[in-house]
Order: sequence, then structure tokens, then C-alpha cells
Amino acid sequence: MSYQAPGMKPVLKVEHLQGGWDEQLVLDDINLQVIKGEILVIVGKSGCGKSTLMHYLLGLIKPWKGRILFKDSDIWSSPGALQRARTRWGVTFQSGALLGNLTLLENVMLPLKEYTDLPDRDIRIVAYSKLDTVGLADFADSNPLEVSGGMQKRAGLARAMALDPEVLFFDEPSAGLDPVTSASLDELIKTINSSLGTTVVIVTHELASIFAISDRVIMLDHEAHGIIAEGTAAELRDKSSDERVKAFFGRNLAAAKRSQ
Amino acid sequence: MANPEKLIYSGFTLSVHGVLVDSEIDYIRDFIDENKRSIFDAGKLVLDFSGSPGIDSVAAAVIYGSCKKFSRAGVRVRRTGALPVIDDLFKTLAKFDSAPEPEKKRMSIHDIFENIGENVYELGNTLYSLGHFIEETMGAFAGMLIHPLKIRWPLVFYYMEESGFKAIPIISVLPGLLGMVLGYQAGYQMRVFGAETFMPALIGYSITWEIGPMLAAVLVAGRSGSAYAAEIGTMQVREEVDALRVMGFDIFNYLVTPKMIALLCVMPFLVLLANFAGIFGGLIAGVLFLDFPASTYISELGKALIPIDVLWGMLKSIVYAVLIANTGSFMGMRVRGGAAAVGKATTAAVVLSIFMVIIADALLSLLFIHIRPGLSM
Repeated sequence: MSYQAPGMKPVLKVEHLQGGWDEQLVLDDINLQVIKGEILVIVGKSGCGKSTLMHYLLGLIKPWKGRILFKDSDIWSSPGALQRARTRWGVTFQSGALLGNLTLLENVMLPLKEYTDLPDRDIRIVAYSKLDTVGLADFADSNPLEVSGGMQKRAGLARAMALDPEVLFFDEPSAGLDPVTSASLDELIKTINSSLGTTVVIVTHELASIFAISDRVIMLDHEAHGIIAEGTAAELRDKSSDERVKAFFGRNLAAAKRSQ
Repeated sequence: MANPEKLIYSGFTLSVHGVLVDSEIDYIRDFIDENKRSIFDAGKLVLDFSGSPGIDSVAAAVIYGSCKKFSRAGVRVRRTGALPVIDDLFKTLAKFDSAPEPEKKRMSIHDIFENIGENVYELGNTLYSLGHFIEETMGAFAGMLIHPLKIRWPLVFYYMEESGFKAIPIISVLPGLLGMVLGYQAGYQMRVFGAETFMPALIGYSITWEIGPMLAAVLVAGRSGSAYAAEIGTMQVREEVDALRVMGFDIFNYLVTPKMIALLCVMPFLVLLANFAGIFGGLIAGVLFLDFPASTYISELGKALIPIDVLWGMLKSIVYAVLIANTGSFMGMRVRGGAAAVGKATTAAVVLSIFMVIIADALLSLLFIHIRPGLSM
């Protein structure tokens, strides 16, 4: 993936982002670009600020400092800008975050109803086809709480894809899933990326996932409050001289202790 | 008793064989107790762990405690042959043992005042943010009044049924019982002075001015305010609120205003129902216990009440509806964390809504004195 090739436009850009929870600084001076069509994976140990960074990318919290640009417009410049950006994004949360009082189908229909003028019948058909893409057409009328965790995540993915987004965000897609289900979800993400050209941003710490799908990896560290490494997964594993990166990719506890 | 060969004492050496777990602590205690005498006599003790792959922390604590007693009495104790796991365990025990015991804090007068101050400050903070929240809801609501199509009517109808229609049984029974008790007790007292003819007026005023609206508000706060807080709180925990937000939904528009509009629609009628029930309860009490003919009750009531008495209560209920719906939703939105936080938010929602309703009622009563003819002094 020639993500650094000139002319490749960043679809999402973070400039000098600083932020955290309450008074506690988590991220400081973050700069990153998400290139159109790539699969970018944000990795790091638990508590390093991966999810926090995701919250900022999604505009769920306002940065203390810095800007987040979606297609060259600052998402915080006006309420409309954030709103417009959000209709072009799809997000799947760690838990799936499906509305518990709606069926899977109704969950997928929700964004379609909100943002399109399609008649109800067409919305239903589109939602069905999205559920079919993730292999859940047979469970369309189930309540989210009646299906397994993996299914909830896939339904969340179907909902995220409902409006054919330009960028898909995933928060820990493999958390709480067995290796096989997790691998099939990775496969699905890769298919969507290659067939629809959807840009994908994933937060995870699952090594298998990282190697299976990433075009580019960014590693965060808790003490650095920011990015400590960037490159392809293989580059980070084989060429990095940073102890923390080596420890993470080698699952090496002793190295991790040394680097602290 | 577990496997007795696990501990062997010979010479100066207490050797441990195999794994010791917490179900064996009685055995360990007894064993050390049995050999206490000889250990004291020997003046030294070697703990030999070379035969043990690891021991449970509870078992280690028992051994550690006994060894401490021995060394206090002058016995030299040392460990030998222990794997790093066991060694670390004893080191950890020693570390925490040598740490000074946390001082028990006694509450001084100073602390009590500090505590009160903190709580008051916290309450003030909450009320301030709630004010902001209501402001934002009202902003969203005003926007909807201009474009009524933006109101999510299916949700409004759903909440009208949940909070209004389904509240009808309780809101017709409780005020009715209260009206009956009130009628009986007041009538009984008044009869002493031969003033029982004023009982219907008393019931009419107290029910329509205060008890009807207030009881309806308290019941709705308990039924629906808590439900709103729990619903939104759970959605918050399950990341559903974030999901709605990133899908570009206006949270107020989707989660808060439908509840408020529903309560605005049903509250006045619930108050009307509570009024009817309360007054009817008074009538029953009059007929059953005070030999008060129903026709007299009604005509006395008709002489006392004027339309504004009832209308004012319904008007007050609109304020209550705004307060209850917003407080419930606000508390739900503030949930961070897990299931316990939802429970706390639910409690806080009920307590704070009732508190707000009573404050609002007190203020509105001051106004009422000036509005209703025949009340101002």
C-alpha cells in the first residue's frame, strides 16, 4: 500500500491534538493522517489512550487543543460540520451498541430513515441487504440481546455501513470474540475495504488482527502521551529499535518491564 | 484433615511437601501448635520449601504469622529451598506487615462541616448543570414547535402510553384513598365545632390546590422519572448514546424531548384525574362515616371551588412535567461506568425531581395567592 505516495489525499487529519479525561492529560500533540482507502490500525497497551483518541476522531469530545479535519474542514468549526462529517462515517463500537429496544433490522434502518428520503419499503430492502452482507439476514427480527456477541458486532457493522460511509471506525472489533469469529470479522472488514474502497480506522490490541488487515499501524504509548511508532505491521515488528514496540509485537513481558 | 504428610518436622527443620491450599489452614495451625514446644526449645527453625511447588497465600499467611510469633520469642527463623514464587509471597507478606496500619480517621467537627459544605457545593453544581440541561432541552423544544414534523411522534406516543395511560390506575386509587382519609379526619374534627358543612370546601381546596397536583407529580416522578434515568443510563453504559451521537442524531431530539412532550401532554390530565379521585374519596368518607348526603357534598363543593382552582393545578403540572422529564433524562445522561451507576442515577433522579417539584410548588403557591380572588390578605 503506497500510502505515502504523493497525491494521496488524507481523508482525516489530526493536527496537534491535545486532550484527556477531566484534568488528566492522555494525549499530547498528536499528528496523524488517514489516507483514503487504507486500513489504519491504532494499537497500544491497555490504557494508552487508544479509545480516547477514537473518541476525539469521532467528535464525541472536544479537544483541549488542536484540530481534527475531515476532508479539509475542521469538524469543530461549526455544529453543521460535525453533523455533515458524521453522515459520512460509520462507527462500530466495542459492544455493538445496538439500540436494545429495536430489532437488528430496525437498528440498521435507523440511519437510513434519518438521512434518506427513500420510501419505507426500499429502506427495508437496503437494510436487509446490509444484514445479508454480514451474514445476519436470518436474524433480522431478533432483539440485539438475543444474539451472540459476535452477531451484535456484525449487526453493528451492518448499521455502520448503512449509508455507505467513506470512513469506517472500529473500536476493538475482536474484543470478547473467539479467534475464529474474530478472524471472520477481519475478513469481512478487508472485503468491505477492497470492494467498496472504504477507508477503515481500527483500534485494537489483537496482534493477529493487526497482521491480518492493517496497511499501516500507529502505536500509542501511555507515558509518551502520543504516537511512538508508525509503519506497516511487519516493519514495526522486525525493524523497530524501540523497546516498547518490540515488547508489544513480541508479546515480550521482560522487554516491557525493561522499557519502563 | 488433608494429607498429613505435607508437613514434616524433624530436627530444626519444618519441611513442606506438595501444595498447601487455604482449606488446609487448620491442619497447618494444628501441626505447628503440636510442635511448638520443641521449636521453642530448639531456638531455631528452618522452613524447608524444597519439596513444594507453591503454596496458597492464605496458607503462607498462617505460616508467616506463626513464624513471627517464634522470632518474637527469640527463635531464629529462616527459609530454605523456596522457589521464587514462594519467596516473593513471603516478601510481600513482610512488606505489608511492616507497613504502618492505616490510622482510623475520627470524624472531627471540622470534618463534619467540611462534609456538609462539600455536599451542598455538589448539589449546587448539579442544579447548575441541570439548569443548563433544561435550557438545552427547551432550545430543542422551541425548534420543534417551529417545525412540528421534527418531533418524533411515535416516541412521544410511546411515552404517553408508558407514563400517562399506564399511570391511570395508581393515580386514581392513591389520591382517592388520601381524599377519603382527609375527609374523614377533617370532618370528624370539624363536627366537634358543628362546622362539618365546610368539609367539602376543605377537601376541594386542599385537593385541587396541593394534594392532587403534588401527588400526581410525585407518582409520575417515581414511576417515569426513574424509568427515564434508568433507560438513558443503561443506553449510556452500553455505548448506545455514543452510537446515536456518531450517527449524527441530535441526542436531545431523540432521547429527551419526546419524553418531555409526552409528559407535557399527559400531566394535566393526570392531575385532573387525581383531583377527581381525591374529591370522590372525600365524598365517600362523608357518606360513609359522617352521614353527609352526596348532594350536599356536591353543592357545598360547587359553592367553594371556582375554575381557576382546578386550572391552576393543571398549569402547575406543566412545570412539573418539564422538571421531571429533564431531571430523569439529565441523571441518565450523567451515568458513567456500570450497573451501579445506573442504580444511583435512578435514585438521584427520583429524589431530585421530587425536590425540584416541591421547590417549584412553593414558588408557584406564592404566585397563586395573588392570582386567585379571595386569597390575598
